[in-house]
Amino acid sequence: MSDCKRGFCTRTALTAATTLLLIPGLALAQAPSAKTSSAPSTTSAKQDRWLHVRVISSDAKGETVRVNVPLELAEKVLPAINHDRLHDGKVKIDCAHLNDVDLRAMVGAIRTAKDGEYVTVQGNDNDVRVAKQDNHLIIHVLDKGKSKRSQVEIKVPMKVIDALFSAGKDELDLVAALHALSGTGDTELVSVKADDNTVRVWLDSKNVAN
Amino acid sequence: MMLLAKAALGLTGTLFVAGAYTFHEGVIRIDVDEHRAGGSHVHMWVPAAAVPMALHFVPQKHLRKAAEHSREALPIAHAIVKELKKYPDVDLVEVVDGSQHVRIRTRNGKLQIDVEEPDQQVHLLLPLSTLDEVTSQLEAKAPGA
Repeated sequence: MSDCKRGFCTRTALTAATTLLLIPGLALAQAPSAKTSSAPSTTSAKQDRWLHVRVISSDAKGETVRVNVPLELAEKVLPAINHDRLHDGKVKIDCAHLNDVDLRAMVGAIRTAKDGEYVTVQGNDNDVRVAKQDNHLIIHVLDKGKSKRSQVEIKVPMKVIDALFSAGKDELDLVAALHALSGTGDTELVSVKADDNTVRVWLDSKNVAN
Repeated sequence: MMLLAKAALGLTGTLFVAGAYTFHEGVIRIDVDEHRAGGSHVHMWVPAAAVPMALHFVPQKHLRKAAEHSREALPIAHAIVKELKKYPDVDLVEVVDGSQHVRIRTRNGKLQIDVEEPDQQVHLLLPLSTLDEVTSQLEAKAPGA
Protein backbone atom coordinates (compact mmCIF):
# COMPACT_ATOMS: atom_id res chain seq x y z
CA MET A 1 0.00 0.00 0.00
CA SER A 2 1.43 3.39 -0.92
CA ASP A 3 2.24 5.87 1.86
CA CYS A 4 -0.51 8.20 0.59
CA LYS A 5 -3.18 5.47 0.75
CA ARG A 6 -1.96 4.23 4.14
CA GLY A 7 -2.11 7.77 5.54
CA PHE A 8 -5.63 8.22 4.19
CA CYS A 9 -6.80 4.91 5.69
CA THR A 10 -5.27 5.73 9.07
CA ARG A 11 -6.85 9.19 9.14
CA THR A 12 -10.23 7.72 8.15
CA ALA A 13 -10.05 5.05 10.84
CA LEU A 14 -9.07 7.56 13.52
CA THR A 15 -11.81 9.99 12.43
CA ALA A 16 -14.40 7.18 12.54
CA ALA A 17 -13.18 6.14 15.98
CA THR A 18 -13.37 9.71 17.29
CA THR A 19 -16.88 10.20 15.84
CA LEU A 20 -18.09 6.96 17.39
CA LEU A 21 -16.73 8.07 20.74
CA LEU A 22 -18.39 11.45 20.55
CA ILE A 23 -21.88 10.35 19.43
CA PRO A 24 -23.07 8.86 22.77
CA GLY A 25 -21.84 11.96 24.56
CA LEU A 26 -23.73 14.23 22.17
CA ALA A 27 -26.85 12.11 22.48
CA LEU A 28 -26.66 12.30 26.28
CA ALA A 29 -26.02 16.01 26.19
CA GLN A 30 -29.18 16.48 24.15
CA ALA A 31 -31.35 14.32 26.38
CA PRO A 32 -31.95 16.84 29.21
CA SER A 33 -32.66 19.68 26.80
CA ALA A 34 -35.19 17.53 24.98
CA LYS A 35 -36.78 16.84 28.35
CA THR A 36 -37.20 20.45 29.29
CA SER A 37 -38.09 21.89 25.91
CA SER A 38 -41.07 19.72 25.09
CA ALA A 39 -44.55 20.80 26.08
CA PRO A 40 -47.73 18.79 25.77
CA SER A 41 -49.65 19.27 22.57
CA THR A 42 -53.13 20.66 23.13
CA THR A 43 -54.87 18.07 21.00
CA SER A 44 -53.83 14.44 20.93
CA ALA A 45 -52.87 12.93 17.58
CA LYS A 46 -55.78 10.54 17.38
CA GLN A 47 -59.02 11.74 18.85
CA ASP A 48 -58.52 10.47 22.36
CA ARG A 49 -61.13 11.48 24.88
CA TRP A 50 -59.87 13.11 28.04
CA LEU A 51 -61.57 13.49 31.39
CA HIS A 52 -60.48 16.67 33.14
CA VAL A 53 -60.95 17.62 36.75
CA ARG A 54 -60.12 21.10 37.96
CA VAL A 55 -60.47 22.38 41.50
CA ILE A 56 -59.64 25.99 42.21
CA SER A 57 -59.80 27.25 45.74
CA SER A 58 -60.08 30.94 46.25
CA ASP A 59 -58.74 30.93 49.79
CA ALA A 60 -55.50 32.62 50.80
CA LYS A 61 -53.32 29.68 49.74
CA GLY A 62 -55.01 29.50 46.36
CA GLU A 63 -55.00 25.73 46.05
CA THR A 64 -55.36 24.40 42.53
CA VAL A 65 -55.74 20.80 41.43
CA ARG A 66 -55.69 19.77 37.80
CA VAL A 67 -56.15 16.17 36.70
CA ASN A 68 -56.20 15.02 33.09
CA VAL A 69 -56.96 11.36 32.44
CA PRO A 70 -57.35 9.68 29.07
CA LEU A 71 -60.65 7.78 29.16
CA GLU A 72 -59.01 4.82 27.43
CA LEU A 73 -56.44 4.64 30.22
CA ALA A 74 -59.14 4.71 32.86
CA GLU A 75 -61.06 2.01 30.98
CA LYS A 76 -58.00 -0.25 30.90
CA VAL A 77 -56.80 0.42 34.44
CA LEU A 78 -60.13 0.14 36.31
CA PRO A 79 -60.54 -3.63 35.69
CA ALA A 80 -57.06 -4.14 37.17
CA ILE A 81 -58.18 -2.67 40.48
CA ASN A 82 -59.67 -5.29 42.75
CA HIS A 83 -60.15 -3.71 46.11
CA ASP A 84 -63.01 -3.59 48.57
CA ARG A 85 -66.21 -3.18 46.52
CA LEU A 86 -64.49 -2.52 43.21
CA HIS A 87 -63.91 -5.63 41.10
CA ASP A 88 -63.42 -5.98 37.34
CA GLY A 89 -64.44 -2.38 36.80
CA LYS A 90 -67.71 -2.82 38.67
CA VAL A 91 -68.71 -1.41 42.03
CA LYS A 92 -70.89 -3.49 44.26
CA ILE A 93 -73.64 -1.60 45.98
CA ASP A 94 -75.16 -3.24 49.02
CA CYS A 95 -78.57 -3.37 47.53
CA ALA A 96 -80.22 -1.55 44.71
CA HIS A 97 -82.85 -0.29 47.13
CA LEU A 98 -81.36 2.76 48.71
CA ASN A 99 -83.63 4.31 51.31
CA ASP A 100 -86.48 2.36 49.75
CA VAL A 101 -85.76 3.82 46.32
CA ASP A 102 -85.26 1.27 43.56
CA LEU A 103 -82.55 2.96 41.54
CA ARG A 104 -82.67 0.59 38.60
CA ALA A 105 -86.42 0.93 38.29
CA MET A 106 -86.07 4.69 38.50
CA VAL A 107 -83.42 4.76 35.77
CA GLY A 108 -85.59 2.53 33.60
CA ALA A 109 -88.51 4.88 34.08
CA ILE A 110 -86.43 7.96 33.27
CA ARG A 111 -84.98 6.30 30.16
CA THR A 112 -88.38 5.73 28.66
CA ALA A 113 -89.90 8.99 29.82
CA LYS A 114 -90.06 12.12 27.71
CA ASP A 115 -87.96 15.20 28.33
CA GLY A 116 -89.14 17.30 31.22
CA GLU A 117 -88.64 18.39 34.79
CA TYR A 118 -89.11 15.52 37.22
CA VAL A 119 -88.29 17.11 40.51
CA THR A 120 -88.42 20.74 41.49
CA VAL A 121 -87.93 21.69 45.10
CA GLN A 122 -87.71 25.28 46.16
CA GLY A 123 -86.93 25.68 49.82
CA ASN A 124 -85.50 28.27 52.11
CA ASP A 125 -82.12 26.55 52.19
CA ASN A 126 -81.98 24.66 48.89
CA ASP A 127 -83.38 24.64 45.41
CA VAL A 128 -83.24 21.27 43.69
CA ARG A 129 -84.11 20.51 40.12
CA VAL A 130 -83.91 17.12 38.38
CA ALA A 131 -84.73 17.05 34.70
CA LYS A 132 -84.24 15.12 31.49
CA GLN A 133 -83.28 17.21 28.52
CA ASP A 134 -81.83 16.24 25.12
CA ASN A 135 -81.03 12.73 26.37
CA HIS A 136 -79.14 14.12 29.37
CA LEU A 137 -80.06 13.78 33.02
CA ILE A 138 -79.62 17.15 34.64
CA ILE A 139 -79.37 17.71 38.38
CA HIS A 140 -79.17 21.24 39.67
CA VAL A 141 -78.77 22.08 43.34
CA LEU A 142 -78.56 25.58 44.71
CA ASP A 143 -77.52 25.80 48.33
CA LYS A 144 -78.74 29.07 49.73
CA GLY A 145 -77.03 28.69 53.09
CA LYS A 146 -76.64 31.96 54.89
CA SER A 147 -72.87 31.75 55.37
CA LYS A 148 -71.85 30.10 52.09
CA ARG A 149 -73.69 29.77 48.83
CA SER A 150 -72.96 26.99 46.39
CA GLN A 151 -74.33 25.83 43.12
CA VAL A 152 -73.97 22.30 41.79
CA GLU A 153 -74.78 21.29 38.23
CA ILE A 154 -74.51 17.71 37.03
CA LYS A 155 -75.21 16.81 33.44
CA VAL A 156 -74.84 13.17 32.44
CA PRO A 157 -75.78 11.63 29.09
CA MET A 158 -78.56 9.06 29.51
CA LYS A 159 -76.55 6.42 27.65
CA VAL A 160 -73.83 6.75 30.30
CA ILE A 161 -76.39 6.16 33.04
CA ASP A 162 -77.77 3.20 31.13
CA ALA A 163 -74.26 1.76 30.84
CA LEU A 164 -73.65 2.37 34.54
CA PHE A 165 -76.66 0.24 35.44
CA SER A 166 -76.04 -2.37 32.74
CA ALA A 167 -74.24 -4.79 35.08
CA GLY A 168 -75.82 -7.14 37.61
CA LYS A 169 -78.56 -6.12 39.98
CA ASP A 170 -76.36 -4.80 42.75
CA GLU A 171 -73.53 -3.45 40.65
CA LEU A 172 -72.54 -0.31 38.85
CA ASP A 173 -70.48 -0.91 35.72
CA LEU A 174 -67.90 1.89 35.75
CA VAL A 175 -66.00 0.61 32.72
CA ALA A 176 -69.15 0.45 30.62
CA ALA A 177 -70.02 3.98 31.77
CA LEU A 178 -66.56 5.25 30.78
CA HIS A 179 -66.87 3.52 27.43
CA ALA A 180 -70.23 5.15 26.85
CA LEU A 181 -68.76 8.47 27.93
CA SER A 182 -65.97 8.17 25.35
CA GLY A 183 -68.63 8.08 22.64
CA THR A 184 -70.12 11.41 23.63
CA GLY A 185 -69.04 14.83 22.44
CA ASP A 186 -67.30 17.54 24.45
CA THR A 187 -69.38 18.05 27.54
CA GLU A 188 -69.27 19.47 31.04
CA LEU A 189 -70.30 16.81 33.49
CA VAL A 190 -70.02 18.47 36.86
CA SER A 191 -69.76 22.08 37.86
CA VAL A 192 -69.63 23.27 41.45
CA LYS A 193 -69.43 26.96 42.17
CA ALA A 194 -69.08 27.92 45.80
CA ASP A 195 -67.86 31.02 47.55
CA ASP A 196 -64.50 29.49 48.38
CA ASN A 197 -63.87 27.10 45.50
CA THR A 198 -64.95 25.95 42.08
CA VAL A 199 -64.90 22.40 40.77
CA ARG A 200 -65.26 21.43 37.15
CA VAL A 201 -65.31 17.96 35.60
CA TRP A 202 -65.51 17.86 31.84
CA LEU A 203 -64.73 15.79 28.78
CA ASP A 204 -63.00 16.82 25.56
CA SER A 205 -60.27 15.83 23.12
CA LYS A 206 -57.53 18.04 24.56
CA ASN A 207 -54.84 16.61 26.78
CA VAL A 208 -54.44 19.79 28.80
CA ALA A 209 -56.91 21.43 31.15
CA ASN A 210 -57.44 25.03 30.09
CA MET B 1 0.41 3.36 12.90
CA MET B 2 -2.15 1.37 10.89
CA LEU B 3 -2.32 -1.23 13.67
CA LEU B 4 -2.92 1.50 16.22
CA ALA B 5 -5.75 2.97 14.16
CA LYS B 6 -7.38 -0.46 13.81
CA ALA B 7 -7.11 -1.05 17.55
CA ALA B 8 -8.58 2.39 18.28
CA LEU B 9 -11.44 1.72 15.87
CA GLY B 10 -12.13 -1.67 17.44
CA LEU B 11 -12.02 -0.31 20.99
CA THR B 12 -14.19 2.72 20.32
CA GLY B 13 -16.60 0.62 18.26
CA THR B 14 -17.04 -1.69 21.23
CA LEU B 15 -17.41 1.28 23.60
CA PHE B 16 -19.96 2.84 21.25
CA VAL B 17 -22.07 -0.30 21.03
CA ALA B 18 -21.88 -0.81 24.80
CA GLY B 19 -22.73 2.85 25.42
CA ALA B 20 -25.59 2.83 22.94
CA TYR B 21 -27.04 -0.33 24.52
CA THR B 22 -26.65 0.98 28.06
CA PHE B 23 -28.34 4.28 27.29
CA HIS B 24 -30.85 3.15 24.64
CA GLU B 25 -33.67 3.35 27.19
CA GLY B 26 -32.43 6.68 28.54
CA VAL B 27 -31.52 7.41 32.12
CA ILE B 28 -33.33 7.31 35.42
CA ARG B 29 -32.82 10.61 37.21
CA ILE B 30 -33.37 11.05 40.90
CA ASP B 31 -32.74 14.48 42.42
CA VAL B 32 -33.52 15.16 46.06
CA ASP B 33 -32.55 18.45 47.67
CA GLU B 34 -33.40 19.26 51.25
CA HIS B 35 -32.74 22.92 51.92
CA ARG B 36 -32.10 22.80 55.63
CA ALA B 37 -29.20 22.25 57.94
CA GLY B 38 -27.96 18.70 57.48
CA GLY B 39 -30.42 18.15 54.65
CA SER B 40 -29.51 15.55 52.09
CA HIS B 41 -28.72 16.23 48.45
CA VAL B 42 -29.04 13.17 46.28
CA HIS B 43 -28.43 13.34 42.55
CA MET B 44 -28.45 10.04 40.70
CA TRP B 45 -28.25 9.27 37.02
CA VAL B 46 -28.68 5.57 36.33
CA PRO B 47 -28.84 4.01 32.85
CA ALA B 48 -32.43 2.76 32.63
CA ALA B 49 -31.41 -0.42 30.81
CA ALA B 50 -29.28 -1.40 33.79
CA VAL B 51 -32.24 -1.74 36.16
CA PRO B 52 -34.09 -4.67 34.54
CA MET B 53 -30.66 -6.24 33.99
CA ALA B 54 -29.76 -5.76 37.65
CA LEU B 55 -33.04 -7.43 38.69
CA HIS B 56 -31.69 -10.68 37.29
CA PHE B 57 -28.94 -10.58 39.90
CA VAL B 58 -31.27 -9.92 42.84
CA PRO B 59 -31.78 -13.08 44.93
CA GLN B 60 -35.06 -14.74 43.99
CA LYS B 61 -36.37 -14.77 47.56
CA HIS B 62 -36.07 -10.97 47.79
CA LEU B 63 -37.85 -10.52 44.46
CA ARG B 64 -40.63 -12.89 45.50
CA LYS B 65 -41.00 -10.99 48.79
CA ALA B 66 -41.20 -7.66 46.99
CA ALA B 67 -43.71 -9.07 44.52
CA GLU B 68 -45.79 -10.49 47.35
CA HIS B 69 -45.83 -7.17 49.20
CA SER B 70 -46.96 -5.31 46.12
CA ARG B 71 -49.27 -8.06 44.87
CA GLU B 72 -52.34 -5.80 44.76
CA ALA B 73 -50.58 -2.79 43.31
CA LEU B 74 -48.51 -4.54 40.62
CA PRO B 75 -51.27 -5.28 38.09
CA ILE B 76 -52.55 -1.70 38.51
CA ALA B 77 -49.07 -0.21 38.10
CA HIS B 78 -48.44 -2.43 35.08
CA ALA B 79 -51.74 -1.46 33.47
CA ILE B 80 -51.10 2.27 34.10
CA VAL B 81 -47.55 2.15 32.73
CA LYS B 82 -48.61 0.12 29.70
CA GLU B 83 -51.32 2.65 28.90
CA LEU B 84 -49.17 5.68 29.67
CA LYS B 85 -46.70 4.57 26.99
CA LYS B 86 -49.39 5.57 24.50
CA TYR B 87 -49.32 9.11 25.89
CA PRO B 88 -45.69 10.26 25.82
CA ASP B 89 -46.29 13.96 26.55
CA VAL B 90 -49.15 14.70 28.91
CA ASP B 91 -49.73 16.53 32.17
CA LEU B 92 -51.62 14.10 34.35
CA VAL B 93 -51.80 15.71 37.75
CA GLU B 94 -50.87 19.16 38.99
CA VAL B 95 -51.45 20.37 42.52
CA VAL B 96 -50.50 23.85 43.62
CA ASP B 97 -51.06 24.61 47.27
CA GLY B 98 -49.45 27.83 48.36
CA SER B 99 -45.74 27.27 47.96
CA GLN B 100 -46.12 23.54 47.39
CA HIS B 101 -46.20 22.27 43.85
CA VAL B 102 -46.66 18.67 42.73
CA ARG B 103 -46.62 17.64 39.10
CA ILE B 104 -46.99 14.21 37.55
CA ARG B 105 -46.56 14.10 33.81
CA THR B 106 -45.00 12.18 30.96
CA ARG B 107 -42.31 13.69 28.77
CA ASN B 108 -40.62 11.92 25.87
CA GLY B 109 -41.87 8.53 27.09
CA LYS B 110 -40.68 9.15 30.64
CA LEU B 111 -42.70 9.51 33.81
CA GLN B 112 -41.72 12.78 35.44
CA ILE B 113 -42.65 13.50 39.06
CA ASP B 114 -41.74 16.88 40.50
CA VAL B 115 -42.41 17.87 44.08
CA GLU B 116 -41.38 21.36 45.09
CA GLU B 117 -41.69 22.69 48.59
CA PRO B 118 -39.86 25.62 50.15
CA ASP B 119 -37.56 23.32 52.13
CA GLN B 120 -37.21 20.42 49.74
CA GLN B 121 -37.35 19.48 46.10
CA VAL B 122 -37.74 16.02 44.62
CA HIS B 123 -37.50 15.32 40.92
CA LEU B 124 -37.89 11.86 39.43
CA LEU B 125 -37.53 10.91 35.80
CA LEU B 126 -38.31 7.30 34.98
CA PRO B 127 -38.51 5.85 31.47
CA LEU B 128 -41.91 4.17 31.04
CA SER B 129 -40.36 1.25 29.16
CA THR B 130 -38.15 0.52 32.18
CA LEU B 131 -41.10 0.72 34.56
CA ASP B 132 -43.02 -1.61 32.26
CA GLU B 133 -40.16 -4.11 32.28
CA VAL B 134 -39.66 -3.93 36.04
CA THR B 135 -43.37 -4.36 36.84
CA SER B 136 -43.57 -7.25 34.35
CA GLN B 137 -40.60 -8.98 36.00
CA LEU B 138 -42.03 -8.49 39.48
CA GLU B 139 -45.46 -9.72 38.34
CA ALA B 140 -43.82 -12.84 36.96
CA LYS B 141 -42.20 -13.45 40.36
CA ALA B 142 -45.45 -12.96 42.27
CA PRO B 143 -46.81 -16.07 43.98
CA GLY B 144 -49.28 -17.88 41.76
CA ALA B 145 -48.01 -16.18 38.58
